[in-house]
Amino acid sequence: MMKQWGVLFKKEWTESVRNFKWLWLPVVFILLGVMQPLTSYYFADIIENFGGLPEGAVLDIPPPSGAEVLAGTLGQFSQIGFLVLVLAFMGTVAGEKSHGTHLMVLVKPVSYFNYLTAKWVHILLISLSSFVVGFAGAVYYTALLIETVPVNNVLSGGAVYALWITFIMTLVLCLSALFRSTAIVAFGSLGTALLMSVLSMYTPDLMKWSPGMLSSHSQMLFYSGDTGDGFWVSLAMTIVLITGIMTLTIYMFNKKEVAGHTE
Amino acid sequence: MSLIETARLTKKYNGNAAVDTVSLSIREGVCTALLGPNGAGKTTTLNMLTGLIKPTEGEIDFNKNYAGDRRKHIGYLPQYPKFYGWMTGEEYVSFSAELAGLSKKKAKESTNKMLSLVGLEEDRRKKVSGYSGGMKQRLGIAQALVHEPKLVILDEPVSALDPIGRREILELMKTLKQHTSILFSTHVLHDAEEVSDDIFIMKKGKIIIEGGLSELQQKYQQPAFFIETEKAMDNWLSSINEKSWVRQSKLDKKKLTLTVEEVDTARDALLKDPMLHKLKLLKFEVAKTSLEDLFMKVMR
Ligand SMILES: Nc1ncnc2c1ncn2[C@@H]1O[C@H](COP(=O)(O)OP(=O)(O)OP(=O)(O)O)[C@@H](O)[C@H]1O
Ligand SMILES: [Mg+2]
Repeated sequence: MMKQWGVLFKKEWTESVRNFKWLWLPVVFILLGVMQPLTSYYFADIIENFGGLPEGAVLDIPPPSGAEVLAGTLGQFSQIGFLVLVLAFMGTVAGEKSHGTHLMVLVKPVSYFNYLTAKWVHILLISLSSFVVGFAGAVYYTALLIETVPVNNVLSGGAVYALWITFIMTLVLCLSALFRSTAIVAFGSLGTALLMSVLSMYTPDLMKWSPGMLSSHSQMLFYSGDTGDGFWVSLAMTIVLITGIMTLTIYMFNKKEVAGHTE
Repeated sequence: MSLIETARLTKKYNGNAAVDTVSLSIREGVCTALLGPNGAGKTTTLNMLTGLIKPTEGEIDFNKNYAGDRRKHIGYLPQYPKFYGWMTGEEYVSFSAELAGLSKKKAKESTNKMLSLVGLEEDRRKKVSGYSGGMKQRLGIAQALVHEPKLVILDEPVSALDPIGRREILELMKTLKQHTSILFSTHVLHDAEEVSDDIFIMKKGKIIIEGGLSELQQKYQQPAFFIETEKAMDNWLSSINEKSWVRQSKLDKKKLTLTVEEVDTARDALLKDPMLHKLKLLKFEVAKTSLEDLFMKVMR
């Protein structure tokens, strides 16, 4: 049983090594991570050179704090980073279903639990590794160019944000397993992420439990080393939801027909 | 005891039965053909046997001697096999073997054996995306056999191939059937006649004819005469049609196919008939109708 899981995991791993996902996803995150401290640092220069300010005007923008820069980095990750991750993995099951490559796999004595969790763990491993290297880049350049942020704040904030990524990628796997159209997977997961973030921003009182609160908790950790109200509720709820979504996905996948059509 | 048996197996899509109360019994150690035109329900039936599709009604029983998940004992080649193109042929076959539970070492051994059996040794390190249709078909057979299943199910294994590829696969199937039971689908009677022992003919979701090949051939092969003459046969034929030994006649201009009860009586009677001699015989041939005639008739 475990052995079969290993076989399936190795297939996922080799596939993303060969199609360079293991290269370009970390690269995207490193670029995003490094860009934020760099642009913050050179912001004043950039404006002076290209902003077309009137002669003699003195620019006096206070430099951002390290925590602000890191929070901005997470903002980049939540927009461009998520988009890239979702596009990279929306086809993980849906693509196999529409090509038909899953048939010769699932016709073997393969447990659907193994098939789905091997993909899940692999997706999380790539996504979180990319996040870690990208975030490490951001932390490094922030320390170098702006100021150091206390290590504890950085680590705890990063860990909380990693859970938010885990939640979104679990959703990607779920939709990919249950739908054949990758468009549904992309819109569904990005839409949910956006909706949760927006609701958390405008009605934080109602959304205390929501995984969408996690990214603002992680930003607060950068600033103060403390989370906001309701952190534990949203943390617990996120873990419950991740477990629930995975269980439901495996259950539904078992019930669904493997061969939807006969061509 | 048979290897796999179905009882009133039915699959409905939006109320229409793609497979309709099909009761099959596949014997162990033989090659069975599931024969039928496009849309007969062959793929749907096979997919239910492999577990890829769930039946709306009916049951499937696998031989009790082979316990557990029946997928362990089945090897399957889909009608349109789709591989991970980024793998090499060798990687794909050994991936399949390991999925079926073989140890790494065993998987490797079995992979080597299968690749040489299907003749892909030279191309084993090429990416599957670069394989031709015929090579993919052979790779598909290799992955179906690699865990030494009790039953190999091949969905139209030769339909997509050119005559040479077709020949190769049919020969391969003849070799295979000495070791494993095979169930394959086809829409060509000739393929079924060439390799199979048992035949099920399917049409519009139903099994309409079933039996052993030789039994069916005997049952449906009737003695017949092909007769050609210089003059028109119409008048003479109406007198012949009255005879008790005639089963059926079919006249096409000056060519007559006469199906009869028994060869000897008919031949004597025909050759002694002076009327026939007056029509100036061009051709007089004793033959047999084939399963083909039956097949064409039921398929219409
Ligand atoms: N998912 C589906 N939804 C609706 N109808 C379906 C579905 N799958 C199969 N059918 C119908 O069931 C019937 C049998 O299809 P099937 O593919 O089993 O036939 P077949 O004998 O394999 O044909 P072919 O020789 O073309 O492969 C067809 O009429 C087909 O349109
Ligand atoms: Mg078919």
